[in-house]
Amino acid sequence: MFAKHSKIITITAIATSLSFGALYATAQEKYGIGTSVGPDEIAKYDNDIHIDGTGLPEGSGNVALGREIYEYQCALCHGEKLEGVREMGAQTLHEGRRDIKKLPYATSLFDFIRRAMPLTDPGTLSNDEAYGLTAFLLVETGVINDPNLTLDAESVKAIKMPNRDKFIIDPASRFTAKDLEDK
Amino acid sequence: MKTNRRHFMKAGMAMSTALLADSALAQDTTLIPSRGPGEMIDSSVTYADRSPFVKDAKMRGSANGLSGGGFTPLQHSRGMVTPSGLHFEVHHSGVPEIDPSEHKLLIHGLVDDEKIFTMEDLLRFPSVSHFHFLECAGNGMGEWMGPRGKTVQQTHGLTSCSEWTGVPLKVLLNELGVRGDPKWLLAEGDDGARMTRSIPIWKAMDDAFLAYAQNGEFLRPEQGFPLRLIVPGFEGNMNVKWIRRLEVGDKPWWTHHENTEYADPRPKDEIRAFSFYMEARSVITSPSGGMKLNGPGFYEISGLGWSGAGTVSKVEISTDDGKTWQGASLQGPVLPKCHTRFTHPWRWDGKETTILSRCTDDTGYTQPTYDEMYKLQGPIGMMHNNAIQKWHVAQDGEITNVR
Ligand code: HEC
Repeated sequence: MFAKHSKIITITAIATSLSFGALYATAQEKYGIGTSVGPDEIAKYDNDIHIDGTGLPEGSGNVALGREIYEYQCALCHGEKLEGVREMGAQTLHEGRRDIKKLPYATSLFDFIRRAMPLTDPGTLSNDEAYGLTAFLLVETGVINDPNLTLDAESVKAIKMPNRDKFIIDPASRFTAKDLEDK
Repeated sequence: MKTNRRHFMKAGMAMSTALLADSALAQDTTLIPSRGPGEMIDSSVTYADRSPFVKDAKMRGSANGLSGGGFTPLQHSRGMVTPSGLHFEVHHSGVPEIDPSEHKLLIHGLVDDEKIFTMEDLLRFPSVSHFHFLECAGNGMGEWMGPRGKTVQQTHGLTSCSEWTGVPLKVLLNELGVRGDPKWLLAEGDDGARMTRSIPIWKAMDDAFLAYAQNGEFLRPEQGFPLRLIVPGFEGNMNVKWIRRLEVGDKPWWTHHENTEYADPRPKDEIRAFSFYMEARSVITSPSGGMKLNGPGFYEISGLGWSGAGTVSKVEISTDDGKTWQGASLQGPVLPKCHTRFTHPWRWDGKETTILSRCTDDTGYTQPTYDEMYKLQGPIGMMHNNAIQKWHVAQDGEITNVR
């Protein structure tokens, strides 16, 4: 019984090392705590967007829709021309640390708008509105030169942001390139 | 009925005190008379407060009430631990109120068994307790272009240190069994903004943990109650509060925060991605900006050193504007990725000078000067400012920030 058991462990260990390396594979005892869940339950929580576009929802929105929402729900803090309203704690979206052009992936912009904005009422934008706002902001900041831009899952995924290749892994930052080899 | 009895007891006690006082008088003693009994023990006060004479306070603020935070008053800190109520805070969508009996954590993605854990579940796992500092990547941001803060609270108040207790991520990930080619985790908070950050899996498997307690009690709401991530030594923002979800993946997510706010501009139009380590840094907390020395004589210089990459191995002090340096004493315990209190005896001769400290960690890294930082970061760096801090001592004893 015992011998048989340890054999099973050896086989699993080999199988794991094929895919993942022995690095993190341990034969730690299972505590059996927690509740296993399936895809339907996970879908209620999982709202993020991967850089390959996984998670981008159905729907679409154009610059006109984005501009309309922006004026009603965003300009109060971000300013008519994205210049930022200091008293509201929002900085310019045109330049510096909060520059939208700085983002290497447009998926992050869509994701952030949908999850976090407007600041006082996050999580209330529809997917169409979030696509429209993404389109509006990318056109306003000059990333994409198309006043009639319409965005959806496919097109957001395909955008190559101008700054993508400027992100560096600085050796002096003590963060090795190995950690990013699949970026 | 109950009150009557208490009144009676009180009266009785007052009488016996009076008797004692009388007999003391009769002996014509020069002793300072006793205070008599103190405040009655108030059984309705079940969580003790500080002395009304102690006023140390966070500097808290936000333009819109939702994004912003509070700075720790380091100028009066002693030892290495920050009281939970004075721990710095930075928020991106306010402080949510979460009922722990309803809070859930989902771990999914590249794992064999995707699971939801309640707080009750998490409390059943083997736990760890560690002292660690937490520092906002933007601590001292305002000082980058020149001295701005008056006090050390303003210049360095976004670092604090606590004992954190919780479950190692390694234990949870092993429980679920990681599969495929996992390299990163997405950590998501349950604040309004559902704040997200990517965490490298080697860090998760090394020393990161999910904390539910701080300094011996459950977390304070502004520190992530009921559950937060602790990623020792990495920038504060990654220590996601109110954590509700961890997704295991093969790539970083490049979330908004890791791309814009927390990515460092570099010279030549470059941007430093994933600059996680809070490098070795130290600051003299006393005497410091805004204080005044009471004439020449003995003063203990006291301050904090820390490193996100390891353990503080030495702190050096200069009391002559960096011309000569002496080793400070490190007050134990000296722990990895933790505030370390240093002290140094100093006799001030009453002359104008500048006092400063520099820290070296056990990887051999020494805290840089602003000139050295500029070479690395360029003038627009701002985040991850761990440069040496100088305090100017004027002839009248006034201490000011000259950065
Ligand atoms: C009440 C003020 C307020 C409103 C209204 C608001 N924002 Fe924001 N926004 C902010 C603040 C403050 C930040 C910085 C958030 C942080 O610190 O995480 C921000 C951040 C952003 C960012 C990221 C850039 C940055 O500064 O980090 C984008 C993009 C954005 N907002 C878009 C929007 C859009 C689109 C709307 C309308 C749907 C909107 N905001 C409404 C205050 C606001």
